[in-house]
Amino acid sequence: MKIRALVLGAVTAASLSGQGLPVTYERLAAAEKEPGNWLMYSHTYNGWRYSPLDQINLQNVKNLHVKWLFQGRHQEKFETTPLVVDGIMYLTRPENDVFALDAETGRVMWAYSHKNPERTYNCCGRVNRGLAILGDRLFMGTLDMHLIAIDAKSGREVWKTEMYDYAAAGGYAATGAPLVVKDKVIIGMAGGEHPVSGFLDAYDAATGKRVWRFHTIPQPGEPNFGTWAGDSWKTGGASTWNTGSYDPQSNTLFWGTSNPWPGYSGDVRAGDNLYSCSVLALDPDTGKLKWHYQFTPHDTRDWDATQIPILIDAPFRGRQRTLMAWAARNGFFYLLDRANGEFLLAKNFVRQTWAKGFDDKGRPEVIPGNDPTPEGNTGIFPGVDGAANWMAHSYSPLTKLMYVFAREERRVFTKNEIRHAAEENNAAPTGLEVVGEAPGASGGRGGRGGGGTNGIFGAGGNLPTAPGGRGRARFAPEESWGKVVAIEPLTGGIKWEYKVLSPPWGGVMSTAGGLVFGGTTEGMIFALDARTGDRLWYFSGNDRVYAAPVSFLAGGKQYVSLAVGDVLATFGN
Amino acid sequence: MRTLLISFLLTRMIPAALAQEPANRFDTPEGAQQGAALFQTHCAICHGARGQGGRGADLTTGQYKFGGTDPGLFATIRNGVRGTEMPPVRATDEEVWKLVAFVKKLGTLAPGQQASGDAAAGRLVFEGKGGCTACHTIGRDGGTLGPDLSDVGRRRDLDYLRESLLSPEADVPARYRAIQVVTKTGQPVTGIRLNEDDVSVQVRDERGNLRSFLKRNITEIRRDKPALMPAFGEKLSKTEIDDLVSYLTSLRGGQ
Repeated sequence: MKIRALVLGAVTAASLSGQGLPVTYERLAAAEKEPGNWLMYSHTYNGWRYSPLDQINLQNVKNLHVKWLFQGRHQEKFETTPLVVDGIMYLTRPENDVFALDAETGRVMWAYSHKNPERTYNCCGRVNRGLAILGDRLFMGTLDMHLIAIDAKSGREVWKTEMYDYAAAGGYAATGAPLVVKDKVIIGMAGGEHPVSGFLDAYDAATGKRVWRFHTIPQPGEPNFGTWAGDSWKTGGASTWNTGSYDPQSNTLFWGTSNPWPGYSGDVRAGDNLYSCSVLALDPDTGKLKWHYQFTPHDTRDWDATQIPILIDAPFRGRQRTLMAWAARNGFFYLLDRANGEFLLAKNFVRQTWAKGFDDKGRPEVIPGNDPTPEGNTGIFPGVDGAANWMAHSYSPLTKLMYVFAREERRVFTKNEIRHAAEENNAAPTGLEVVGEAPGASGGRGGRGGGGTNGIFGAGGNLPTAPGGRGRARFAPEESWGKVVAIEPLTGGIKWEYKVLSPPWGGVMSTAGGLVFGGTTEGMIFALDARTGDRLWYFSGNDRVYAAPVSFLAGGKQYVSLAVGDVLATFGN
Repeated sequence: MRTLLISFLLTRMIPAALAQEPANRFDTPEGAQQGAALFQTHCAICHGARGQGGRGADLTTGQYKFGGTDPGLFATIRNGVRGTEMPPVRATDEEVWKLVAFVKKLGTLAPGQQASGDAAAGRLVFEGKGGCTACHTIGRDGGTLGPDLSDVGRRRDLDYLRESLLSPEADVPARYRAIQVVTKTGQPVTGIRLNEDDVSVQVRDERGNLRSFLKRNITEIRRDKPALMPAFGEKLSKTEIDDLVSYLTSLRGGQ
């Protein structure tokens, strides 16, 4: 009886909002025509994370309230972007569990679990950022470097391919959401904290067989091989741990790369270290490189370029162009011509100290003194976690603004041959430690947010790192904050800023309702007026947000979902 | 051959856990010193530069939730703690053993670092002239505006304690940061910040009351004086400070 009711519910939801499965490539390429669905990580191939839904809008957003919760019951950070296909939500939990839910009620319909080894190699938690879909199949990368195809109707595994030895060279992992292009599943790898060698892979969605592998560090004989001193190219990092974008018109895949290794000391790897901290333009059929642009040559500050490329078309300097807008971890907003990678402009959107300008080719004119030092350099901006990081940005065709949830942060940069231990420096947002516990005991929640005596304030996030420090917060919390920045992509100008207490780890989504949604480190989920940055609504989620919102239709009504703490909170009117 | 046989017998006779427990060959002054440097790289970000805790656990108490033996500490550092944010440390086994040697030394007074004052006299200052009990708890007695000091002697060294008395603002734990909230009705409320986000701030006021304010009802939040605690250099004599430091360092929990 129960089962039948569930099945009926699924059918009803599907019939109300769309055509259900299979999700063909043609549907993916025209995802903007299915406003009720969320078919890929950024909603559409152009990376906009823009929902064309407007049921929730400037006028009624004040009435938004919780409709349902998905209780993850996990410890790790909840970084997922759910997919929604005609009333069914597909969701990953950290550590590679997958769930199918009724998108109207949050009721679980099936669960799939991939068992990872006890020890995997992750710089920043055993996380997963989401799925891709093609046909009847969902695709997920795993912490132990497998790519898995799962039947979307049954939750059963269809195939599982080992991408690489997860324990090699200090450790590889697949944490980012894959991107389906035509009949291939494109997926990257994480591990730039270790002496890995980066690559981007494409797999046949039907069989799981690898079709191509692009090495993000040129191999002997390839162009730009000479940008690494000695043998440093062999262990140069340059991972590909987030998701890319795709331009069907030019058939070009765009994907960002991470820092070179060792991350905080460039001594052994003199040279530009291509293609680290770069965006790559690739032919998705063959994996051949069309062009590249390097945001931070010879990086020593972990300023990954793993942001999601945002593709827009607009007239620029007198002619219509296909453009790429990019808010980089190094603090600059860039506009490139995505037909050839031509540098058009760059402008900082946070405090920055390292570049005084750019030459015609877009090479930064570097200011000396902005490298890590053994005793700790406290004068570099932006901070170690960057102005932007992996958190999704958004672009609204209504306002023609790009929204970036940026980090304004003062931090310590310590030169280190091995690894900087400071990827995730911000403190927990909420006072969860147990009152009355012995002062020497660790905090009440064991780790995911609560523990420790400093673990109360998001803004208190500058814990000491420099050797010889006296164990105090080196900087006042007021020296760091977060802000949603609305950037005019054609000039790099800032239209407005909405300041928040702490540097964020969540992304943003804009909607046709004229809104920008996101969530803070303290768990405040907000809706802003996309034109002005005024906050129109909020909800106190009270745990850290490490994800970006999505919006969809279920039962004909618009919902907004965002992971906060270990809960996926879903709001509606 | 005989040696082998004896070793074999010994191995069989001693309980397995003991027999397999490897001695830490880096438990030497040099090993611990190298461990201290490694600690700054790998651990200080969460556990504090001196292991006093922060985002991660306080390591100065001599009590370890996941095992305090050498192999236990090794396993925790090497493998991390599942279900928490304590990750496996990216270091060689040798380096992890050096970390173990250093971690075990955290919180113990360096040899020769002896308090010069009179602890009994210090207690009288603490409870009397100093007025410390108004804000600090020892055992079950005292206030809650400052940190519980029941085992502060185990967690903080002499220099730290002295500095805390003379310049309290040098290091204020985040949960004891003082703020002053001014409401729209003009009423200032001073206390310690218990929590905060973009829409509200929670305070324990100077009388110990729990207060919460919506930011839309606040005209100003002052943060320029991060410690509620006064500097005692002018209020107490040098002898009284020495005595107080002696008393504080004698506090080891269990009183």
